[in-house]
Amino acid sequence: MKLSKIIPLLLLCMQTAFTGQLQVVATYGYIGDIVQRIGKDRVEVVVLARGDYNPHIIIPKPSYIAKLRRADLLIINGGQLEIGWLPQIIKQANNGAVQPGERGFLDLSMHVHLIDVPTSVSRELGDVHPEGNPHFFMDPDNIPVIAKAITERLSELDPDNQAFYEANNKELYALWQRNMKVWEEKLKPFKGEKVIEYHKIFDYFLNRFGFTIAGTIEPLPGIPPTTKHIADIEKLIEREQVKFIFQDVYNPQDASSYLSKRLNVKLIVLPHDVGAVKEADNVFSVFDEIIRRITQ
Amino acid sequence: MKLNKTCISAALLLLFLWPDGLLRAQSREGSAFDQSKYVPDIALILDVSGVDRDMADQKYYSLTIPGFSFPFLNQPSSSGLNAHRGMNFNYGELSLYSVVDPYFDLFAVIDLAPESAGLEEAYFTTRKLPYGLKIKAGKFLASFGRVNEQHEHYWDFANRPLIATALFGEDGLNEIGAQVTWVAPTSFYLVLGAEVLNGTNEQSFGTMGFSDPRDSVAIDAVQGPNLYIGFIRSSFDIEDASILFGISNAMGRTRNDQGYSGGRGNAVDAKTDIVGGDLTVKYSLDAIRFVSLQSEYMYRVMNGTEYTDNYFSNIVFPTSQLDKHHSGFYAQVAAKLDQLWEIGVRYDLLLQNDVSLSGADQHMPSNLPRYSAMIEYNPTEFSRIRLQFDRDESRYIQSSGGLSCQPYTQIILQANLTIGAHGAHAF
Repeated sequence: MKLSKIIPLLLLCMQTAFTGQLQVVATYGYIGDIVQRIGKDRVEVVVLARGDYNPHIIIPKPSYIAKLRRADLLIINGGQLEIGWLPQIIKQANNGAVQPGERGFLDLSMHVHLIDVPTSVSRELGDVHPEGNPHFFMDPDNIPVIAKAITERLSELDPDNQAFYEANNKELYALWQRNMKVWEEKLKPFKGEKVIEYHKIFDYFLNRFGFTIAGTIEPLPGIPPTTKHIADIEKLIEREQVKFIFQDVYNPQDASSYLSKRLNVKLIVLPHDVGAVKEADNVFSVFDEIIRRITQ
Repeated sequence: MKLNKTCISAALLLLFLWPDGLLRAQSREGSAFDQSKYVPDIALILDVSGVDRDMADQKYYSLTIPGFSFPFLNQPSSSGLNAHRGMNFNYGELSLYSVVDPYFDLFAVIDLAPESAGLEEAYFTTRKLPYGLKIKAGKFLASFGRVNEQHEHYWDFANRPLIATALFGEDGLNEIGAQVTWVAPTSFYLVLGAEVLNGTNEQSFGTMGFSDPRDSVAIDAVQGPNLYIGFIRSSFDIEDASILFGISNAMGRTRNDQGYSGGRGNAVDAKTDIVGGDLTVKYSLDAIRFVSLQSEYMYRVMNGTEYTDNYFSNIVFPTSQLDKHHSGFYAQVAAKLDQLWEIGVRYDLLLQNDVSLSGADQHMPSNLPRYSAMIEYNPTEFSRIRLQFDRDESRYIQSSGGLSCQPYTQIILQANLTIGAHGAHAF
């Protein structure tokens, strides 16, 4: 190809950068869905991580750099959930607008209350997040808080559409509260039920609806189960009369299904993000699907 | 004496009776100028290995890659990675990173050996330049191809690919200089970069002048930057596969004195041009497992003059026109089997090895291979134990009888551990 042909092609590619819509990059699917609900046609949203993958371990694809290069706003979960894959992407994107500390960088963990903040940290205890458990999206009460933070930031970057964003946020809030009532009703009979998780990813959900977390299949966060730990969990399930094992979609299920078959506890695979399972394609259906799977 | 006792008692009494709130306020005020929250991210990476090789160490250190290396630049050296049969302390790598202010980032890596320490990298980068531009300056691993920029602990194997070692030495192309990159605002990843470097790498470049004791030849040291690099990289995704590819070009002068100024040996004054192409493909099978392919090809042309002297025997050699054409590649495949295990194989081949002096072919051996395989166990992302097997048929010994190939086989059991705050790696 001749240079004279390449240059117009390059210019054509660059045109995509000047569409007038606010360009938003969201690290995870749930963030993208909330941004879309508030920004509607005034924003263009790109989600980086796949919803059915381990949110801690995402391959930092170079294509993410191109997405971030053109972004006006980067919204992250925070709480160190992205620490293993995002920092280099931000550095390589050569985009001053989305650097941490800028108005084009929004860390949602700064707006919600994080649980399980360790008083001391040591990697002897596995992959502990020093800021607390970062899977706060699993508490449905956090959604309006997150939506508000996003609304404020969108309004700040695009003040012309402030009223539009605020109206959409109000609408989302009302709809969310209606759904909350339904979910609470459905989960009432499960209050106090004892649960084992694979990873501490559903803690916020379980706390919110009054389940009791008896233990995890991982001996320590991020460390795969050992035979000894499985034997301990077996004893724990019998002693504590645990009814459920809640498993995420991305970790191996061998240990969970072994325990489930052996001890007659119910193994339920739950979505942890938008896109984790086919049915959970937005923030509402994530919780609809979690509750359907638990209650059915 | 008595006064002293009274003083101490009074002080002790005061300490016990001191209002609690006052103490706390004081301790807060005591840290009024405390800056501990500004401590940069500090990490220490330790790499040790046990090596068994079917060749005595002394012989191993006298090996060379003929034609590729200048005489007396032996490869491997006794200070390289996994150099000794038995236990090796490969490196302790102390890294520091922090934001400087809203405009700059600073990153430094200090390479620690048992009795020495050296600055491997120390550079700053800009954070807020407009138009997708970024400037980096200091001492850093040049952005030539793929493996050169990667730190050793990020490699899939315990040693550097053969062609990279043959062209840039065991420490890679690590130079003082500046870099500018531009990320295009395109829908796919496209980055263009240029580097201006001192170019002191002794395998391919070099700036030192030389002269013979008779003062009939005097080549001055290169003034100003000696090495220019340009690169372009792009990437796209097909389903769950990410494909990254790039082309790099390094151009500079080569000044290398191997005993010539001392009256016995030779020296080279040449122009060197190196072109590289790289390809990386990473395919995710699911959230945990992936297969990756990484391959690089490099081609070097060196044209100039070779000076030879033996002052003490009073023999004057004619200068010769030096022409070198070298090429080689490596291809490696690694597969992550589950959260803990990863396996990989690598094939290295030095292809072309054409060296001619004033048109006379020096008949250097070509098509030199090395075969490697590895299996690694990663208890967590902070620790790794790797077992690697190498069969190397690329090294020779130069003796009065000419060149003789010295193949060897080695097994490396490597442990690599990280503590502290270590930043995420790029793709």
